[in-house]
Amino acid sequence: MFVDFFYILRDSGIPVSPTSFLRLHKALAEGLVSNLDDFYIAARTLLVKSERFFDLYDRVFAHYFRGAELPDFKGMELEAAARELLNEWLQNPEALANALGMSKKELQSLSPEELLKYFMDRLKEQTEAHHGGSKWIGTGGFSPVGHSGYHPGGMRVGGISRNKSAVKVAMDRRYKDYSVEAPLTQAQMGEALKRLRRMVPEGPRDNVNVDETIRATTRNAGEIEIVFDRSLRDRLKIILMVDNGGWSMDPYIQLVQTLFNYARAQFKDIKFFYFHNTIYDYVWEDPPRRFKPQRVEEFSTWDKDTRLIIVGDASMAPYELMATDGSIHIEERSGLPSIDRLHMLADIFSHSAWLNPTPRRIWPMTRTIGVIASIFPMFELTLDGLEQAVTSLMSKN
Amino acid sequence: MSGENATFFSGASKYVLDEELAKIVNISMALEMPLLLKGEPGTGKTMLAHAIAESLSMPLLVLNVKSSLKLVEALYQYDTLTRLNDSRFGDSTRDVSNIEEYIRMGKIGQAFVSEIKTVLLIDEIDKADTDFQDDMLDVLDQMEFDIIEIDKTMKARTRPVIIITSNAKKDLSDPFLGRCNFHHIAFPDQDMMRRILNVHFPSVDQELLEICVRTFYKIREFQGIEKRPATRELINWVRALRADPDFRPKDLIQGKIPFLGILFKKSTDYHQATLQSKRLRI
Repeated sequence: MFVDFFYILRDSGIPVSPTSFLRLHKALAEGLVSNLDDFYIAARTLLVKSERFFDLYDRVFAHYFRGAELPDFKGMELEAAARELLNEWLQNPEALANALGMSKKELQSLSPEELLKYFMDRLKEQTEAHHGGSKWIGTGGFSPVGHSGYHPGGMRVGGISRNKSAVKVAMDRRYKDYSVEAPLTQAQMGEALKRLRRMVPEGPRDNVNVDETIRATTRNAGEIEIVFDRSLRDRLKIILMVDNGGWSMDPYIQLVQTLFNYARAQFKDIKFFYFHNTIYDYVWEDPPRRFKPQRVEEFSTWDKDTRLIIVGDASMAPYELMATDGSIHIEERSGLPSIDRLHMLADIFSHSAWLNPTPRRIWPMTRTIGVIASIFPMFELTLDGLEQAVTSLMSKN
Repeated sequence: MSGENATFFSGASKYVLDEELAKIVNISMALEMPLLLKGEPGTGKTMLAHAIAESLSMPLLVLNVKSSLKLVEALYQYDTLTRLNDSRFGDSTRDVSNIEEYIRMGKIGQAFVSEIKTVLLIDEIDKADTDFQDDMLDVLDQMEFDIIEIDKTMKARTRPVIIITSNAKKDLSDPFLGRCNFHHIAFPDQDMMRRILNVHFPSVDQELLEICVRTFYKIREFQGIEKRPATRELINWVRALRADPDFRPKDLIQGKIPFLGILFKKSTDYHQATLQSKRLRI
């Protein structure tokens, strides 16, 4: 019974387990479910284990029992669907053909919104994969939308970021999960991070020191005297946010990966988040930045003593940081500029540090580095820089 | 059949229960599965367990989870210090050579040895680490645990009704979720909130109640607030307003909000709220 319902739930991305499905049948067999409303509630409480899937469940349920339109399973809006489409088309980068659209000057005059609209319009007109040509989306060319095209303020859809600044990214490259083991090359980095482990006695005096107790008791001629030690407690919590999105971070991924491998072993309570270039409404728990978003506001309920470490090159177009709709992700527009979000994070966590993999000597060449360094203490992602960052994170105030 | 009714949960004197949640509680009790409740603070997760215990007249055992809590502490404790003391002074009625007399049951242990069915509330499970959570569910699944010191297996006499709450700061592990029923309690909407207030203040002036609820939901939307006021704060606030002889409901309409300190308990929040309430018009 309802086996296909189970499979539709599975296909829609809700992690339903066969065990829980059997449990639902047990509930049915025991007569706990007498009508459809009961079934709705029982199936949800037994099968769906996170409120994040409640909405999807509702839609699947409505489809199955009321014949409503089947939800678009990947939860994609038009923009995201366009991204998938592009992904397919841009698989063949060798098919770089000359393409002519508007003139370069015309393109420069387009705002991001106009670009996006142009992009969507082209998509609607276009019905097949295509490389090169005058205005269709494909690979290469001068059309403001497409891959590896040359357009100063253009929209980037995959390919290498040539100028470390893109107006819109409509297709992200999703990095593979960093947490996988990688050969360690910089052993000292783990050593430096170790300093973050503040193994100082801070717990209550509730550990009986057996040796000392025996010694004290014998010294007292058998009168029992119990000696307590403070229980050791590593109280440090860490949040690590890593810029894993932009191509501009590409050369530093290896470095960051090393850091990761060490960090995992060093702390008990450490949370990893990922972002692209700078932080807007969300950071993500999963490296592809797609499945597990975390609202930035919610960090205000976290422990204030948590150390916040951000790793990123802080290099981007100034408006990405300053503008109210600066996010290069078209789905993420809250109206608050990223700089406000950064200030908020710096306010929440009194101990924070920004580790920048680019060498300090070239920092003055990028404006946004200066701006961000005025919000977070910024350090080089080197042994020396880490040493300083650790000192700053451990300072009393 | 009154005996039959006694095992079904349908609300308690000070708890406004929505129908959906009542069904979920009843299904969980019938299937004998723990019920995991998530939701922001102040949505009545903890109160639900109290309400179940009250309406089914079962004793309530509360295990407040702390990050340092070890599973064995929730099961039992071997009180070595008392035993050492007894052996030294010998002035107690306990038999020093019998270790069992120095075993004290933790909250889970108490629920197991209880003669009658109990409600076991495991509050804020997300504070503990993942190992604790998984190990605890093993114990609750098998309904037994070993006391190593006296080599004895404690079996549960009755299976307690288990309510687990989480503030959702951390994601719980998949095996854990697999063994629980799940429900997410949304923050009550305005209608629900009026019903809740009516339960707590049966004789309240409806005009006052209306304006308080509207003000409260405006206040919850203040920007930059760290800890937003929840149901508990609203109830205390209404209590304070009713106790104040100088208070006029019209003040609220004009944005004069007395006793902000009841609603905002952190100094930065209070400061923010004071600034923003000056601009507030209901």
